[in-house]
Amino acid sequence: MSYIHFPVIAVMTLFMGAFLTVVFGRKSKAVRNILALAASCTAFVLICCLIKPVLIDGEIISYWMGNWSPVEGYAIGIGYEIDQLSMFFALITVFTVLMSCIYSIRYMERDSALDFYNVLFLMLSGSVLGLVLTGDVFNMFIMIEIMTFTSVGLAAFRNNKAGSVEAGFKYLVIGSIGSSMTLFGVAILYGNCHTLNMAQLSSILAGRLTPSTLMAFALMFTGLAVKSYIVPFHTPAADAYTTAPASISMVFSGMVNKAGVYGMIRLVYIIFRAMDKSSVQLLMVIFGVVTMFVGVTMALAQHDFKRLLAFHSISQIGYVITAAGLGSALGLTAGLFHAMNHTLFKGLLFLCAGAVYYAAGTTNLDKLGGLSKKMPKTCICFLIGAFSISGLPPFNGFASKWLVYQAVYEKAVTSGNIFYAFATVAAVVVSVMTLASFIKVTQAVFFGQLPASLENVQEVPALMRLPMWIMSALCVLTGVFYDQVNKWLLAPAAGAALNVSGYIDRMMGEGYAAEAGVVNIPVFAARFSFWNPVVWLLLFIIVLAAFCLAIIGSSGDRASISSAPADAEDGKYATFFSGEKSMPSHVSGSDLFWGFKKNWKGYFKVMDGIHSGRVNDYALYVVCAAALITVFVFGFVR
Amino acid sequence: MIKKAIANSMQKSPWLYHVNTGSCNGCDIELVACLTPRYDVERFGFKLAGSPRHADIVVVSGPITSQSKERLLRTLEQVPEPYCIVTLGSCPQSGNVFKGSYSVEAPIDKFCHVDVAIAGCTVKPEAVIAGLYKATEILKKKREAMNK
Amino acid sequence: MEYLKILFNILVFPGCLFVGAMGLLLSGIDRKVLARMQKRVGPPIIQPLYDFLKLLGKETIVPKAANRKVFLGAPVVGFAALVVTAALIPVLGYRAFEGSADLIVLLYLLTIPAVALIIGGSSSGNPYAGIGISREMVTMMSYELPLICIFLAVAKKVGGSTLCFSLSQIAAYQQANGSLIGCVSLIPAAAAMLLVIPAEVGTQPFDVAEAETEILEGPLIEYSGAPLAVFKLNTSMKMYIMTALFSALFLGGLATGVTALDVLIQVLLCIALTLICMTTIHAVTARLKIEHLFKFYWTVVAGLAALSLVLVWLGF
Repeated sequence: MSYIHFPVIAVMTLFMGAFLTVVFGRKSKAVRNILALAASCTAFVLICCLIKPVLIDGEIISYWMGNWSPVEGYAIGIGYEIDQLSMFFALITVFTVLMSCIYSIRYMERDSALDFYNVLFLMLSGSVLGLVLTGDVFNMFIMIEIMTFTSVGLAAFRNNKAGSVEAGFKYLVIGSIGSSMTLFGVAILYGNCHTLNMAQLSSILAGRLTPSTLMAFALMFTGLAVKSYIVPFHTPAADAYTTAPASISMVFSGMVNKAGVYGMIRLVYIIFRAMDKSSVQLLMVIFGVVTMFVGVTMALAQHDFKRLLAFHSISQIGYVITAAGLGSALGLTAGLFHAMNHTLFKGLLFLCAGAVYYAAGTTNLDKLGGLSKKMPKTCICFLIGAFSISGLPPFNGFASKWLVYQAVYEKAVTSGNIFYAFATVAAVVVSVMTLASFIKVTQAVFFGQLPASLENVQEVPALMRLPMWIMSALCVLTGVFYDQVNKWLLAPAAGAALNVSGYIDRMMGEGYAAEAGVVNIPVFAARFSFWNPVVWLLLFIIVLAAFCLAIIGSSGDRASISSAPADAEDGKYATFFSGEKSMPSHVSGSDLFWGFKKNWKGYFKVMDGIHSGRVNDYALYVVCAAALITVFVFGFVR
Repeated sequence: MIKKAIANSMQKSPWLYHVNTGSCNGCDIELVACLTPRYDVERFGFKLAGSPRHADIVVVSGPITSQSKERLLRTLEQVPEPYCIVTLGSCPQSGNVFKGSYSVEAPIDKFCHVDVAIAGCTVKPEAVIAGLYKATEILKKKREAMNK
Repeated sequence: MEYLKILFNILVFPGCLFVGAMGLLLSGIDRKVLARMQKRVGPPIIQPLYDFLKLLGKETIVPKAANRKVFLGAPVVGFAALVVTAALIPVLGYRAFEGSADLIVLLYLLTIPAVALIIGGSSSGNPYAGIGISREMVTMMSYELPLICIFLAVAKKVGGSTLCFSLSQIAAYQQANGSLIGCVSLIPAAAAMLLVIPAEVGTQPFDVAEAETEILEGPLIEYSGAPLAVFKLNTSMKMYIMTALFSALFLGGLATGVTALDVLIQVLLCIALTLICMTTIHAVTARLKIEHLFKFYWTVVAGLAALSLVLVWLGF
């Protein structure tokens, strides 16, 4: 069987898995798990088989459903088209699905109605995979719809918990507004161009920005922005990520909002090819900077582990949008890299949050503490994830953030626009605040004092730890060997987005693009100078080794290191409380960063007012933002 | 050689941790007076430390009230080896004017070993400096004893 | 031979030994001069070495509430990260590891020791340490904003309309066109940098995180013996690293091309900068409150740095 069938089979497998679970999985737990695992593994393997032809050989796969290939230059059938950009996001998707699937086997064992869980989960996975692989805008819309409605079901899955139905409802309302905008945009495009195929749209729309296509652009931009939860569309995400089971939160932040990001990149880079316009760049960068800033400041104010992570998801998507919105090869590379890293480290962090919930029964930062002694392995995974997201060298978050700064500042100096310089400053400050809020989690959950109620907490089962270890390892590896990642994954993906003619030709026939006047933007190799993690790591290890040698060599001269025997009541090893025997004063998450919060009181008050929790307000934000985007597009995009 | 250097440094850099066990504050301000430009004990490397974990010399002032006794003992337990205990003024030695009170536990040597006792009510800064210097010599000896 | 040179660079000069010695020297001078400013005799200049050795000779207690591995590992990671960072900063003309890190990387490498301190303190399980790490983190948030503005201003000045975060390029530019401190537009940035140094190192009045009189040395409260010694050494080494960074950014024009002379000039510069921005400020101020510190950095210092950034963009 030729590999050109693989993409569609991968999508079908996931949907079939969902279907079979309904039929056979109602009674037996084993059947359910096997079906889910088999479906996700198959999808993973099938997509991985495409790495060689697509990423390495640079081939673009096109597949016409039912062999309805174009007639007289018009695409009438639904086509799947897998270029390197789709492939990149497809890899992210299937990886996330597999990890989540493995994790959920043990994590979800205490919940009921698991057949529904698996059905929704597999349909969500299938829809996201379909979304990134499809070459047809209406098909993309349908996948978005499936994605939205399964997400609603999953966000409200633990409906015995406070807030989950509310979260589902918010998601439903905001998501529907977004979907209908997308649909409206698609309809306008169809009316204008008489085709729904992305490749053909791309060649027709080149240089044809009439008022109606601009309207379609504004609407689809807004619709996809809602799906990627950038501010001000972020409100349902915060609730949904919090109330959904951790294995689903991980999927939400790992691939569902990546699907939105993918859609935006596909829209602006390929369908409209509008990224060379400085107005579109400005639009995306403004949205990106506002998103990263609002996301991280809101995260600093949170008291719940998962809600904090949810706001960080929003904030990190801001980085992706900012970088991708620069329109340069470096910027797109940085954006894609950060999107990938975000999937890795945020997925890891959500899994850690799930592990804490599984073990301790709560994710409230004010009730946890001192878990590092009870759950040492989870703690290590969490620290790796936290360091990655806060961008400490040599983890992957640093490599991608560093590229983002470079890309933004390069834009600043080459365009001479000081706005981009301040965008760089904002990005760095957001990164420090990210670090701050993860220090808060570290202190509030894993270090500090252990509350008496958590004395019996145990480490989570190995099957839950497995995906966590895999993702931790990838966080380190992609950070250290980012050159290789760039070479094999990012450069092809960014190149695919910037060079559209190959994409159009493959779908519509050789020479079609040239006829329509599509010009490729030359992709120069992204600059990767001046950060050599391998050298740094080597030097670091040399110093560490020298230090350890010195310690061993001087062991006769030093005094001993004495640590407490396991059950000693010796006062020597007790915590120092100014002489008191005990002081029940665990410094919990909400006590931290007082000096910062005091100075930002006014800002937090405003933010509190904005995040009112009322769906009406949130829907209003979406509509207002859509109106603003439309005005901006009509006013400035030429 | 390193051993010798460490033992020497032990004498040159003693960090003080000050415990007030119900003192009238007279001795305490005399101790602080030693840090002022007039006496400047920092020239011997003395420094006030914030935590008993950092301390080399624990300076105890006051007549050890019943309330403060267990807190004093708990603090002393947490000081890493080697360390010295120096008492400041007459109170820890004898209870001074508080002697006989139902709430005073002095003398201190009933429940811990004292290395240097500085007498006076209040102590003179000169005496404090002399006493602390004596304690640094004891510290060095303790460190050398640990080597053997 | 190549490997030997790398080993020499990382372990002797400008790595481990040199940074350690410089750190101890600078903090010794700092203490001595501070004492003289207060009309005291002050400790001998090698006092920090005595402190270091003494702490090595003390017992190390790992508290029961602490996570042993993290508690003991944190200072070492901070130390190694600092040494590597120091090796990456050019000593005027002498550049040991060219092309392995740029300005932004340095900005992040400098956060590793602070994070090590925070994680170590946090892992000790003491509530005072909890308050301490909170303050340390707020301090970090405070100075990071001016610091990035300074870096961007320097990068724009040197690079013009190309992206330039490279330390070697900055050094080369200064050797050709004179030190950057001579540019009108960068004088506010240099002033801001001088104010960032004490906060980064954590000297009074910006030592809120380790305030020994109110929160008992914060993150360090449970540390004793050798790990404490390493943390104290880290603080001293930061003095060298920050002053060296200042001279690399703003005084690079003083390089002579002769390595020995360069090193001598660098040492003198570091001492002078320590005296200007740490000792003097320490002697004349009292400790700030954390919220005032944050406000000070985000208004005054960040204002200076942003002014510089704008001036550079306007072409001054």
